[in-house]
Parts: sequence; C-alpha cells; structure tokens
Amino acid sequence: MRGDSGCDRVGVMGNLQFIGLLNWSSENGEDMSGKSKLLKVVLLGDGGVGKSSLMNRFVSGKFDVQSFHTIGVEFLNKDVSVDGDNYTMQIWDTAGQERFKSLRTPFYRGADCCLLTYAVDDIQSFKNLSMWKKEFLYFADIQDGMNFPFVILGNKCDVQNKVVNDSDIQEWCRLNGNAPLFLTSAKDATNVEKAFIAAVLRLKELEDFIETRQTNADTVDLKKKAKMTNNNSCCN
Amino acid sequence: MAAQPQMLFEKDSVFIHINVNSHTSDKDAYIPGKVYLLHKEEGHFIEWKAEDVVSLDNHSDQDWAFIGSVGYKPDREAETGSTKIDLQKKYNISFDIFDLKSFKRSAPNHGWAYIIFILKDGTTYPALHFHTGGSKALLKELENFLHIKRSANDSRLFIIQDHDPDMLSKSFDELQLFSDSSGDLVSKFIKDPYTTTLGGFSKVTNFLRDVLMQPEVSVSRPREEVAELLQEDIPGMEISHQDEPGFEVVTKTRLPKRPDVSRATPLASEVWSKHMDTDGRIKDVDQIKEVIFRGGIDATIRIEVWKFLLGYYDWSSTYKSRTEERKRKVDDYFRMKLQWKTISLEQEKRFSLLRERKGLIEKDVTRTDRTHKFFEGEGNPNLQVLNDILMTYCMYNFDLGYVQGMSDLLSPILVVMENEVDAFWCFAGLMDRVYTNFEMDQKGMKLQLSQIHQLMQFVDTELCSYLESHESGNFYFCFRWLLILFKREFNFPDVQRLWEVLWTEKPCKNFHLLICLAILDSEKSTLIENKFGFTEILKHINDICFAINLDESLKKAEGIFEQLKQCKKTPSHVKEIIGLQVTPTRSIPKSSSMPNTFGREGSPRLDLPIHLRENNTSAPSSGSGTAVTTPEDSSIEILPENTEQSVTLVCN
Ligand SMILES: Nc1nc2c(ncn2[C@@H]2O[C@H](COP(=O)(O)OP(=O)(O)OP(=O)(O)O)[C@@H](O)[C@H]2O)c(=O)[nH]1
Ligand SMILES: [Mg+2]
Repeated sequence: MRGDSGCDRVGVMGNLQFIGLLNWSSENGEDMSGKSKLLKVVLLGDGGVGKSSLMNRFVSGKFDVQSFHTIGVEFLNKDVSVDGDNYTMQIWDTAGQERFKSLRTPFYRGADCCLLTYAVDDIQSFKNLSMWKKEFLYFADIQDGMNFPFVILGNKCDVQNKVVNDSDIQEWCRLNGNAPLFLTSAKDATNVEKAFIAAVLRLKELEDFIETRQTNADTVDLKKKAKMTNNNSCCN
Repeated sequence: MAAQPQMLFEKDSVFIHINVNSHTSDKDAYIPGKVYLLHKEEGHFIEWKAEDVVSLDNHSDQDWAFIGSVGYKPDREAETGSTKIDLQKKYNISFDIFDLKSFKRSAPNHGWAYIIFILKDGTTYPALHFHTGGSKALLKELENFLHIKRSANDSRLFIIQDHDPDMLSKSFDELQLFSDSSGDLVSKFIKDPYTTTLGGFSKVTNFLRDVLMQPEVSVSRPREEVAELLQEDIPGMEISHQDEPGFEVVTKTRLPKRPDVSRATPLASEVWSKHMDTDGRIKDVDQIKEVIFRGGIDATIRIEVWKFLLGYYDWSSTYKSRTEERKRKVDDYFRMKLQWKTISLEQEKRFSLLRERKGLIEKDVTRTDRTHKFFEGEGNPNLQVLNDILMTYCMYNFDLGYVQGMSDLLSPILVVMENEVDAFWCFAGLMDRVYTNFEMDQKGMKLQLSQIHQLMQFVDTELCSYLESHESGNFYFCFRWLLILFKREFNFPDVQRLWEVLWTEKPCKNFHLLICLAILDSEKSTLIENKFGFTEILKHINDICFAINLDESLKKAEGIFEQLKQCKKTPSHVKEIIGLQVTPTRSIPKSSSMPNTFGREGSPRLDLPIHLRENNTSAPSSGSGTAVTTPEDSSIEILPENTEQSVTLVCN
C-alpha cells in the first residue's frame, strides 16, 4: 500500500518541486516518539462537486456511489507523515448550498489550509471558485490571502464531458497566488492523496518562509496570549 | 514489506445491523463479519471485516409491486454478488486500540451482547453484535493493553483510562475559578457531580475531573477556537450565557421525578375504520391522534392516514368530497408540472434561476436514499419521480425554491404514497409545517437551536453547562436532526413512525425539541465522561445515527414533557416553547416568573418573523434567559410542594 502513495507528486502545475522528499504514510502510530500536529483543512466548493467523496477517498480509501449529500458539517481525521513530521489532518466538509452559508462559515476560522474544489464537468463550479476563495478569506479572517495555502482540485477528471478548459483553470491558479492545481478523481482515486498532501506541503513551505523571519517558533502561543490580553482589556 | 500481523483474538458471527431499530427483527439487515484483535507493526488494532454472504437483504416485504404511476421492482438478477460485498465493505472497521476512548455495552437483558466503540476524536462505530458470544473474551483481551473503568453514572459505559504525565503539570492558572471555591464544595462536586447543584461552576468540575479522574491527552491546538467563534458568528443565533457576578447563587430546580410512560401498538385498520361515520367523516379526531401518538400507524393504512395528518384531506371530509378533492389535486398538480415541463431549452438558457434549481435537484436526487430498495440501482425510475415532484414544488412555491434537505423529506413520503400526485401534496403539507427550516435567513433553524438551549438550561442544568463550557452551547450539532426531522438518524420504518407521531402535535407543540433533549440525555454520560469537546461532540452526534432507540427516545421525551407540565417552577419562556398555558396569576409569584419576559417582542437581537412571533411572544433574548440560575430569578423563597430545591451560596 505504502509504495503506491508514491514519491512522484505530479500536479498539473504548481510549485512543489522544490520541497523535500515526500514520504508519508497514513498508518496510526507510525512515529510513537512525537505527537502529531493538528492541521485543520477546509474543503470548499459548489454542491455536488465531490467534496465528501474526496474526503472519504482520502481518509478511508473508498468511494461510495450511494452516498448522501452533506447536511450541516462533517469532519474526518487522518494521520499523515510528511517529510518526517507527523500531522493529524482534520478535514472539514460542509454543505455547498448558498442557503446554509451562515451556518457554514464559522467553521472556517482557524483553518491551516483550504482545498477549493470544482468539478471538471460543471462550468459553474469553476466560475464560483473566486467566490469560495473570497468567502473563505473573509470568514477565516485571513489578512494575507496571498500567503495562505490554497490548493485547487479539479474533480471528476474521470468523466468524458469535460467543460472546464485546462488553460482557463491554469490561468485562474496563476492569478491566485500560483496555487497548486490537481485534477482529481474521487471515483478512481487519481491524485487524491497527492492533492491533500500538497496542502500540507504548501503549508510547510509557507510556514518555513514565515519562520525564517521569526526567531520564536511558538507563534501560536504568542498569538493566543495576545488575544486573551485583548479580551481582558475590552470586556470590563 | 511489513511483517504478518499477529492475531491475538478472532471471533466470527459478529454482525453489524444496518436497520437497528426495526420493530420486527426479521426486517433487519444484518451484515455478518469477523472481529479481530491484531498486533501489527504499527500497533494493536481492532478490526471488523464483513464476510462474504449469501444475501444481504431479507426485506421480503419490500418487493415493490406498485399501483399507480410509481412502481419499481428491482431486478434481482442484476444485483451481482460482488456489488453486495462492496456495499458491505464500506462498513469495515479498523482502529488502533490506543485511539479508543470508551465503549458502550448492551444492557444485560438484551438478547445478545453488543459493543459500540467510541474513539478519542468522537468517532463512534456502529454496534458490533456478538450473536454467538465472544464480546467478553474480546474485552478481556483488551484489558491486557488498556486500563478500563466502568462509568459511575451509566453502567453500560466504559472509559479507557489514560495516563498522561503532562496532565499534572498543567497550570492551575488555566482555571481562575479554582481558587475561589472552597475545598468542601469541590470534593462534593467530584463525589457526586450529577446531583450536586451546578450552574456557572461546570468549569470547576470539568477541570477537576480532568486532573483528578481521567487525565486528558492534550491536543496541540486549542480546539475551542472554532466553537468560540461559532457562537459569535452565527448571526441571529442567540445563546444566553450567564454573567459571572462576584456573588453568585447557584440554584437548581429539581424537576419532579420523570414519570414512566408507555408506548402502545399502532393504529390498526379496524380501529381506523370504526372511527369513520357512514359518509366517511372521521369521528373523534383527537382520540385518533392520541392513538397515533402512542403507537404510530399500522403500515397498511399509513398511505391513507398520512393524507389526513398532512392536510391532504380534511378530517371532516366525506368519501364523496375526498373523491372530488383528489380530482382537483390531480389536475392542479399536472397543471403546475406542465409549467416547468414546457419550458424550452431556449427559454431555459435565459432562466438562470430555474436552471440553477434544476441542477441542484438533479444532483441531490441521485444522492437520496440510494441504499433503499425503492431508489437503488442505476436508472431507477423512481428517481425521476422524486425529481419531478421537487421541480413541481419549485413552481408551487417559487419563493422558497429548492433547498438541500427537501429531497430527504420527500423520499419517505414517496415510499409510502407510491404515487406522484399524492406524494406531492403530502410533501407540500409537510413543507407547510417546516418551511422555516429552509428559508433564506435560516431564522427557523436558529430559533430552534436556541430553544433547545433554553429547554436544556431548565431541564438539565448540568449537561447544559457542560455543553456551554465545551463550546457547544449553540447546539449546532443538532442541525441535521432539526433540518430534516431526524430523517438521517433512523431507518425508514422508524422515520415513518417518528414523523406520524410528530404530526399529531401531541402531547405538545415542538415535541421534536424534547426528542432532541431525550437523545442527548442518553448520550450525556458518554459526552461528559469522555470529556468530549466541541469537535468530538459534533462527531459523536453525527455518528450515532442508526444507533438511537426510537421508542426509548419517545418515552423519555414524553417523560420530560410531563415533568415540565407538572413542575410549578417551569419558567414561562420554557412553557411557551412547548405551548403550555402560561398563567402568570396562579401560584407562581411575580418574582419567579421571567423578568422582562414580556415586552421583548421584536427584540432586535432575535428579529423573529411574524409567524414565529405569534407563537413565541416572549422568546427571551440572550443574557437574561437563564431563569434557573440568575439571582434575581432564583426562587429560594418559594418552595412548592413537589419541587425540591437546592441552593448553594458561593462568595468570591
Ligand atoms: N465520475 C465521478 N463522480 C464523482 C466523483 N466524485 C464524486 N462524484 C459523484 O458526484 C456526486 C457528488 O459528490 P459528493 O461527494 O456528494 O459532492 P459534495 O461536493 O460533497 O456535495 P455537497 O455535499 O452537496 O456539497 C456523487 O454522486 C458522487 O458519486 C469523481 O471523481 N468522478
Ligand atoms: Mg458533501
């Protein structure tokens, strides 16, 4: 099993080529010595593009043709090891319909990366990518959108009637911070693992970039303390 | 290549029941399998694997031979053995035993033993039924690796004890409240957390439980983050939290003992016909509804009785008027169906709204109950019927349109009605009851979530405080329950029963909210003793679908209703939610009724639509809805006969 999760990451495009050896495994307890870091991953995209199918394919290796559409919010955890670091990816999957926006967006906060998904046979879902990105950045309260790890997934690449041009989506990715793009199929497992792992790699890459500018690695704690002090001062 | 796993335990004839709650067990679909305890390179794993079997289904009663426009008999030959095996494989289970947090065993009087495993992240697996024994042996084997302790509050619940050395070094600063409480109170809390009065002090108890009883594995990320924000961020969602004043009176009104109620047999065909006069009018509607509430409707007459419950026919209609009414409804349906059917492709190109809805419906119809016989298989014609009804509903109620969740509500109705027109009108009747769930602003959903909170605050202060202090006071995890009336939580027979019970509107308004409370009550120990936080609670609640006992939940919910009805201290805002008469002049002195209860109408924070406002003239706004615990409302001086009250005074 482990062999085919492979070291050959091939995105349609993207800038992962410079990142160290990809060597991951999904088994639990692979590395008993270190605690794994929790990564919150949010899957977004129009209803029916295959978010839940992608999540299930990645986490349990299955594709269920009889699945339901999502109501509310669901999440699954998956332990991965990337470049020797252990992560627990907590993947959040929500319902795509506009109507449930106000009950979906609170879950964006605290996300470490975001997978924006469209279906290659659904032109509208491609057109809506910008809307999803905007919604995410706004509600996740992310200031620096350019340096946030987005990964773009063009799902259902197994189908015949593709309507989204490769050049259009590549152009979109170029205009959106050179986000890595993967043409995936939850149905036949094409590129699914690669896409999710790319999210971790993208995060590491951007994190390393930020860390080199800071001496203290413990940014999370600092932020938290700052927040708490704030609260105290304004709530009296 | 990894080394061969070492088999430490193996047992066959371990089943997963796909339909757990069927009243007649022969309708259940059992998937047989084997359970293993394996020592692998990566650790110790419990696994359950489906075995190849002859037949998955014994739904002999579901050979659909239908009348009318709907009918589908699946081609049994086409169902190859391999698709069945695939279907079963999706239930396969495998987890590291160090991820195990707790498990629930069957009650001793259950026919055979089953175990429900619950992981640290809240993942809850379907029950494994040991039809030929072996559950004890498996647990014995597990004890070699894990320290297992039985819950003091729920004899069926077992908790895996973690020994996390980090825990002791956890700073006491994390909990400022700690230093404020006397040692006495603290030990009392620990000894008897379930009956000691709580209130704003759940933090203390939770923390102490963390430290002293079941050390928690710390997660590197503060998981409360999301939830904290969720509470702030759902606009219009009002969750009342009590302030923590310097001097706090913690009171807990003890409700009268929850009475035992019993369920009864379904409304039988003979009884139903006896209730019709010679012209076909229904006599004693209230009595009929009482029977339905108590036991549901016999499957053979459901198709007829639902039409009355859903307003398709008037209770006072006659055979004759019903024939006319039906004719009118058929015409009306096809008139509306033609409206969208006759839109040409050219027109559609310039009709984005309709096109959008059409697309949504198409996508959802292919994802609605495809495991059910009635809808399974590729190209099943019933999917088209589902599609057409939803499209026609779009024309019938264009303002609302199609919203995800509607297909779930329609599906059981279509299965019962077996007819496109009848199913449409019954669906429209159901939508009349629940359309606020689907409105653009989601106010209906938000209102119900906050009503659950208000009810819980009074009925079970402890669980309510636990949920609040674990970022779940928004009750968001009940969202799916409410949106589609538990449709995804139960199998078809149970959904049908539950819905007909709810449609009687007995014993009270908003009975479904009390069912939410009842289910949560059954999960209380699991949530609290596993110290589940926001994400774990959400996951656990998402996962217990098909593991909820409907009859038990209905009984408990009715019991809660009786308690609220009998309790003289039930605050008026709680009474109003469930439609109990509020009589401010009687027995309840002014001081104990909700302060500022009236005059809150049109509160800007809970800007209720008119139709909701009518029924909830005093929906309390946030902050002051804590009738049970705020000092000015505490009813220390009034102690009605059947209400015990315990009062704890704490000074900061
Ligand atoms: N051919 C093909 N079909 C897919 C693929 N992924 C998903 N599907 C199908 O597309 C439909 C939608 O998939 P879901 O995973 O439910 O989509 P979703 O994005 O989660 O949708 P919502 O829950 O409504 O937001 C289902 O019928 C899937 O079987 C894929 O890679 N290829
Ligand atoms: Mg989904």
